[in-house]
Amino acid sequence: MGKEHIKGRENMERADQAGHGQAEHKVEHRKRGERKEWYKLDLSAIVYPTLQRRDFSSVYRLSVVLKEEILPWVLQQALDMTLPRFPTYKAAIRKGLFWRYLEPNNRPGPFVQEDVKNPCQPMHFKANHRYLVRVYYYGRRISLEAHHSLGDGTGGMCVLQTLTATYLRLLGHEDITNEGFVLDIRKTPDPGELEDAYMRYANAKVCPPRQEEKAYRVRGTGEPFYTLNIIDGIMSVSRVMEVAKKYNATITEYLNAVLLQALLTKQQKERRVRLRPVKIAMPVNLRRFFPSITLRNFITMIYPGVDPRLGDYTFEEIVEQVHNYMRYHINEKQLRGDITTNAATQRNPFIRVVPLFIKDFAVRTFYTRVQDRNSSAGLTNMGALRVPAGMQPYIERFDIYMGQPFSRRTNCAIISFQDTLTINFASSIVEADVERYFFRKLVKDGIHVKIETNRE
Amino acid sequence: MSYCVNCGVELHASARKCPLCNTPVWHLDMLEQMAHAVPPFPEEKGQVEAVKRKDLGLLLSIVVLATAVTCGLLNFLTFRRDLWSLAVIGACVVLWVIMIPAVIYVKQSVYVSLLLDGAAVGLYLYMLTYLTGSAGWFWGLGLYIVLLVTGLLEVFTFCVRKLPRSFLTVALYVFTGAGLLCVGLELLIRNYLGGALRLGWSAVVLTVCGILDVAIITMLSRRRLRDAVRKRLHF
Repeated sequence: MGKEHIKGRENMERADQAGHGQAEHKVEHRKRGERKEWYKLDLSAIVYPTLQRRDFSSVYRLSVVLKEEILPWVLQQALDMTLPRFPTYKAAIRKGLFWRYLEPNNRPGPFVQEDVKNPCQPMHFKANHRYLVRVYYYGRRISLEAHHSLGDGTGGMCVLQTLTATYLRLLGHEDITNEGFVLDIRKTPDPGELEDAYMRYANAKVCPPRQEEKAYRVRGTGEPFYTLNIIDGIMSVSRVMEVAKKYNATITEYLNAVLLQALLTKQQKERRVRLRPVKIAMPVNLRRFFPSITLRNFITMIYPGVDPRLGDYTFEEIVEQVHNYMRYHINEKQLRGDITTNAATQRNPFIRVVPLFIKDFAVRTFYTRVQDRNSSAGLTNMGALRVPAGMQPYIERFDIYMGQPFSRRTNCAIISFQDTLTINFASSIVEADVERYFFRKLVKDGIHVKIETNRE
Repeated sequence: MSYCVNCGVELHASARKCPLCNTPVWHLDMLEQMAHAVPPFPEEKGQVEAVKRKDLGLLLSIVVLATAVTCGLLNFLTFRRDLWSLAVIGACVVLWVIMIPAVIYVKQSVYVSLLLDGAAVGLYLYMLTYLTGSAGWFWGLGLYIVLLVTGLLEVFTFCVRKLPRSFLTVALYVFTGAGLLCVGLELLIRNYLGGALRLGWSAVVLTVCGILDVAIITMLSRRRLRDAVRKRLHF
C-alpha cells in the first residue's frame, strides 16, 4: 500500500497517454452562445451531501509544511491562478429534481485565511460563496480543506501540490517542473480528469453481495459542537518499514494491525457483556488497478478486522489476519466486483426516477443504520508522496486528516514524504485511549514517535 | 525536547502535558523554551461560515410587502366598511421584523432583535386600536404588558447567554421569569381595572416557582445531589 499513490499517478499518466479518459461532464448550450459546463456527481460523491448535518460535513484536509513562513498575499495570488485549472474544485453543488450536480462557480473567492484550532468544520453548501474548498495558512503550513463530493485524496493532493508549486514559483523558485501531482496551470483540463471513472470499470458480470455485520463502536464522551481533536505522530519511514518487515508485513498492514489491537484493548477495558468484531474502514485507491487520471473520487472501502469472540489474538496473529485479508480483497477482480455492486444501485432505472429528497432519506438511513456501524474506526494511507525534484528542498512534510467522523469515533490517516511518516488522528471524543494504545505499541516496537496536538 | 514518562513519546516543545495520557511535563530546564515555543496549531477557534440568505430574504420581503399593499388597496378601494386591513398590515410588519435576524441581517444582535420584535408587537397593538375604536386599553394595559414581556425576555436571554448554562440553570431562569411575569401581569391588570395593587392568583404561581427555584439552587450548590439528579433524569 505504501507505494499505491505513486503507482496510481503512473497509471493516471498511462491512461492519459492512451486517451482512455471519457468525461462525464455536460455542456449546456445557452441562448447567447455561452457554454456553461456542469458535472454529474460521481458514484461516491452522491453519498456525501446526503450525510450533511448542521454539525457534520464530509470534509478532509491535506497540509504541506514548507521550510519558510507562508506569505498570505502570495498564497492568495497562487490560489487565484491555480484553482481555474481544477474546474470540479472551483465549483458549487446544486440540487436537481433527481440528483445533485456540480456547476462552475465564478463568485469571488475562495480566499486564503489564517488557520484555526478546530479544522474540518462543517461546510454549508450555500456559505463561503458556495465554494467547497478552504485554504488556510499557519506559520510554515498551507492547508487545503475540500468537501469529499468534489474528489478524493488523490484529487485534493493534485490541487495542493499544484497550488504549492505555483506559490513557490511566485516566490522565484522557477525550476519546478510539472510532473506527478503538479499539473500545468496553463493547460486546459483533460476530460479524463473530470470523469466518473467508476462507471467505466463497473462492468463485472455479477454483483457480489456485501458482507455486513455490526462492528464495535468506541465509547467516549462527545466533544462540544465543532471540536475536532487532533493528535499527530511523526516518525521515520525507514524505522517503521524495518519494524513492519519483522512481522512480514507492509507498513499499511502493520499500522492497521496496531490500530486493530488498540481497538481490541479499548473494547476489553470497557468490560462489555457482548463483544463485537473490531473492523477498520479503509479506502483503497482504485487508480492502482484501473488506469484513470480522474481527480474526482475513485476509491472503494475494504474492512479488515478481527473477531474477539473467536478467541484472544496475539499481535502476530492480527498482522497475519490483516495481511491475508488484504491479499484476498485488494486485487483487480474483487475490486471490480465491489464497484459493480455499488454502481448497480445508481444504474437501476427505478431508483433513478425517485425524487432526490426520497433518495436522500433512504441513503442517510442506510448509512446511519448499516454503513456507519460496519466499522470501528477509519484508516487511510496516502502512501509515499513524491514531488518534483525542484520542489523537494522547500518541503518538510505532508499531513492528511480524514476529518470529522460521522459518529463518535477516531479516524487515522497516514502519509509519508522522504523519511518522514506522519500518522494523523482526528477524533470527536474527549478520551484519547485508542491513540494512546496505538502510539505506545509503536514506542514498544522501538519506533521513535514525536507527538503534536491541538488538544488543550 | 521533552518525553512523556508514561508513553515514551517525544512531545512538542510547547506541550505542557502529554496529549495521550495527560501526564504533565515537568522539565525545569525547558520552562523558557516552552513559554516561547510556537504551538503546532493556532489558538484561535474558527466559526462556521454563515449562509447568506439574501435571495430568500428578498423573496419573503416581497411576499410580505405584496400582502400588506394588496390588503391596503382592497380596504381602500373595495371593502371600505372599516380599517380591517390594519390587522393584516400590522401582522406583516411583525412577521417581517421577526424574520430580519433569520434571513435578512444574520449578524444582528439578539438583544436588538428582541427589542425590535417588542416594538413591532407594540405597533401592531396600537394599529388595532383603530379597529376597536378606543386606545384606552392600549395605553393603560397593552403597552405595559409588551414592555414587561420584552424586558423579561431580554434579561432571560442575557442570563442564558452570559451566565453559566446547564439544564438546571436554564430551568432556574425559566421558573424565575414565569413567576415575575405572572406577578407583573396581575399587577398591571389590577392597575388597569382600578383595583387595589395586591397579589392574588399570581402569588400561588410565585410560591410554586419560588419553591422550585430554591430546590434548583440547592441542587446547584450540592454537587453530589446535582450528579444524582443528572444521572436519573438524563435523556
